[in-house]
Amino acid sequence: MDVQVFVDLQNQFDSESSLREEISTATKELFKTCRLTSAKLSKAHAVPKSQSKQVTDSVKEQFATIHTNIEAIAKHVRPVTFYRYHDMWSMAVQNACALVIFAVYLEESRLATAADIQGYLGYRVNATNEDVTEFVITLEEYLHGIVSLFNELSRLAVNSVIVNDVQRPQEISQFASELYAGFQLLNLKNDSLRRRFDSIKYDIKKIEEVQYDLRVRGLIA
Amino acid sequence: MSETKRAILTAFTQYRDTLDAHYDQRERVIKCSRDITALSKKIVFSLLRITQDSPERVFADATNKQKQVLELFRKMSVELQGSNGYKYNRQATPGLQEYIEAIGLWTFLRDNTLITKQQVLDTLSVEDENGEVKPLLMVTDEDYILGVSDLPGEVNRYCINSIGKGDRDAVERCLTFLRDLKEGISFVMCGGRVRDLDKKIPTLDSSLEKIEKAYYSMSIRDEEMAKVNPSAVVAAAAAAAAEA
Repeated sequence: MDVQVFVDLQNQFDSESSLREEISTATKELFKTCRLTSAKLSKAHAVPKSQSKQVTDSVKEQFATIHTNIEAIAKHVRPVTFYRYHDMWSMAVQNACALVIFAVYLEESRLATAADIQGYLGYRVNATNEDVTEFVITLEEYLHGIVSLFNELSRLAVNSVIVNDVQRPQEISQFASELYAGFQLLNLKNDSLRRRFDSIKYDIKKIEEVQYDLRVRGLIA
Repeated sequence: MSETKRAILTAFTQYRDTLDAHYDQRERVIKCSRDITALSKKIVFSLLRITQDSPERVFADATNKQKQVLELFRKMSVELQGSNGYKYNRQATPGLQEYIEAIGLWTFLRDNTLITKQQVLDTLSVEDENGEVKPLLMVTDEDYILGVSDLPGEVNRYCINSIGKGDRDAVERCLTFLRDLKEGISFVMCGGRVRDLDKKIPTLDSSLEKIEKAYYSMSIRDEEMAKVNPSAVVAAAAAAAAEA
């Protein structure tokens, strides 16, 4: 038997690892920007709704950086090998989606659509399962981003009471339940999206508890 | 119904359809892959009958089954076009590995060599509508190395059967093959790039150990026989020659 077969294979794997390293470095950058953006966006929890706009305005530049970061990943990826390396950046892109979705909610009290994601991040959400012909954001990544919004919403409900905005929890509750109804249309399989989806009910519960506290004390009608 | 609620429901209905289509496709790949695994195992069993049957008959039977597997691959390849090749690789790879193991054993029995990735691709190639011969689907380096590293178990079975028949040549061939394979796989493993490869090493080691032990007892027995009863050895050799 010729050991050369194995030597060639190893060389193949070695030459691939430099590509992996580059993707990994670019992904780390994206994570970093996302964390920074998240920190800035978190300030929205500490201010009344009227000041949300200032918070979201302050992260506009960050989104441009996130776009550049994703571009740096995308330039290493060809359509056919997209899914070979997809796991490497998927989590980071989920974070980026979550940030867009939270920012859009803060600004307009609505769900960011796939088009919004493209507007902010510069890449299309592949919502139709079609063959990948360019770098895309997968539907799962977008949906993961939406699950993260529930988390933020439950926090926001609590924190708006702290800043003396007792009407806002009601608005949040309404939106969260509408969004949850949408999510319930999905036939999820036993994967990470399903597990996170299962945790949404706790966020909903928390929002309802805030409602209850306010109502039982006669603070809202 | 409020406007926002309507918008959300419309969007999520579309997402549901997309996800359903994706899950269905993944399911189809899993099923095909499982069928390929089952049929590949049958090829392996057919091939292992080589110690009891004539090689021609055994290989004819294997050829027959290989044609059936090819049909399954044709079915599976529909789901693995373009970017879907890697998207569903995790689902497709078990069947593919089992298949590589089966034709790897075949190649070993026929040519006494390790099957190459190109040979694997050749067996999976069919003529398309333009008359071009192309592989039905992509075989990644990981698929190949993982499939090949499953070979020791089967080579081991063949070897034990051969010992039963006193076929010293076959045992020798198995031993050399496995030793080389171990060397090669360990070499690739040092790179540490291929997931799950390290799980295959214990089987390889135990197969090798079994063969070495069996070969050892066989040698001792033969030596002893030659010492105690030289005429029996001559008679056995004559009988073997007559049979051949």
